[in-house]
Amino acid sequence: MTEIRSRVLLAGLTALLAGFALVNMVVDRRALAQGGRELSWWSGLALDIAVPIQKFVAIPFEIARGSWSDYIALQGVRRENGDLRTKLAESEDENLQLREALVASGRLDRIAEMREEFDVPMLRADLVGLDASTWFRSVLIDRGRNHGVHSGMPLISELGVVGLVTATSRNAAKGMLLLDRQSAVSAVVQRSRDRGVVRGTGDGLVFEFVGRDADVAPGDVLITSGLGGVFPKGLRIGVVGTVEEVSAKLQREATVDPVVDFGRLEQVFVMLRRSPTMDLLYATDGGDQPDPAPAAKSGS
Amino acid sequence: MRRTLALLAIVFGVPMLEGALAPFLPAAFRPDLPLLVVLALALAWRNTATGLVLVAMCGFVVDLFSGALLGQHALLSVLAFAAARALSQHVSMIGTLPQIVFAAGLTAVHAIGVVGLTTFFTPGADLALLRPGVVLPRVAVNALIAPTVNALGAALVAWASGEETGRRPLRIATRSWVP
Repeated sequence: MTEIRSRVLLAGLTALLAGFALVNMVVDRRALAQGGRELSWWSGLALDIAVPIQKFVAIPFEIARGSWSDYIALQGVRRENGDLRTKLAESEDENLQLREALVASGRLDRIAEMREEFDVPMLRADLVGLDASTWFRSVLIDRGRNHGVHSGMPLISELGVVGLVTATSRNAAKGMLLLDRQSAVSAVVQRSRDRGVVRGTGDGLVFEFVGRDADVAPGDVLITSGLGGVFPKGLRIGVVGTVEEVSAKLQREATVDPVVDFGRLEQVFVMLRRSPTMDLLYATDGGDQPDPAPAAKSGS
Repeated sequence: MRRTLALLAIVFGVPMLEGALAPFLPAAFRPDLPLLVVLALALAWRNTATGLVLVAMCGFVVDLFSGALLGQHALLSVLAFAAARALSQHVSMIGTLPQIVFAAGLTAVHAIGVVGLTTFFTPGADLALLRPGVVLPRVAVNALIAPTVNALGAALVAWASGEETGRRPLRIATRSWVP
């Protein structure tokens, strides 16, 4: 009798915990669908406590990685340095020619406008840890709502797009990387201006575009198109690798090598201003409106 | 004190360790430590009720540290713990081979659970992640690591419960026998 009672109690506890988890998933999904996703006080508190500890846990791994990259992996650095110098000289030459071409075509004004568009206060944040699950691609950063970071703000590095802030606590935030399977960014081929969508595959990126006549070739640079209102126009995403042959299918795909090395990412910049579209999408009663002022004052 | 430390190590330490390992190993070849710890606890933790609560908390922390929906790993951890516990009462899990086989099966089912729940709750997501090329390396890595994690888990549980057995008086139920 006691054993039966104990089994029933355990089954009840299992059902209770599973039900609680399921309810949390539904609530979280709904919060994501509505845009704002400020973590509840208990999960936010757990994240705020865990982030400094996570930094501490990662120290031995960082030391090991630093030793590898600073000493062991530097054996070919002299040759690489020579190659890079050559490439730099070539790039400078190419840059000069392009500037001349731009002046000739009268597009420098447009570039100046774009620069103004990009004049967004940015906040530097350290990556505290990568995804604790092998099925998703996200990062934890050590800046949160207290620093002006809110859901929907783009994460970038000096090389290009990194991802998007998806959840925030007071002093930490979670960002979804471009590589995540749930990530999709509207992109344009810089050379031919053909449009498409860059999607994460978990391990890499693919560029999905429509049209048999689309001009997409290996080596083409993909930049954000600005459509969708999440990322401003002109941020680098990646370089086209192999392009699917033209077939009867309406949609074609190309593999993309991201410009950002996600494995070596240590710092990111949070763009502290969301586009008007995102502000509408992420507007909540609780005031999830970004206020870049305090973060801008923090000196980043 | 020991018990608290052990609980903290399991609930927070394991997901953190997994996150710290992430930059060094590709996802497909990274052992799923939180899942393996669920299996280890199912085999070693004495009290089923506290074990369930523990793995649920560990799952929530994994959700917090990952791109999953809050509750996704918690739900799967609870179900995995319950399944492993139930199976271990009927099938002997002593020895490396049974643990390897069970870890492989659990990883495959867990993969279906993660991808299935993501697909169900996320518009636009698909089941393409369940390709053999994605799942099989994870199954192989987890299966190979499982006996080691189980041994470490058993050692941790023994260490944590040592304090309690030291303080608690040993009670032996005696029954009078009349010939």
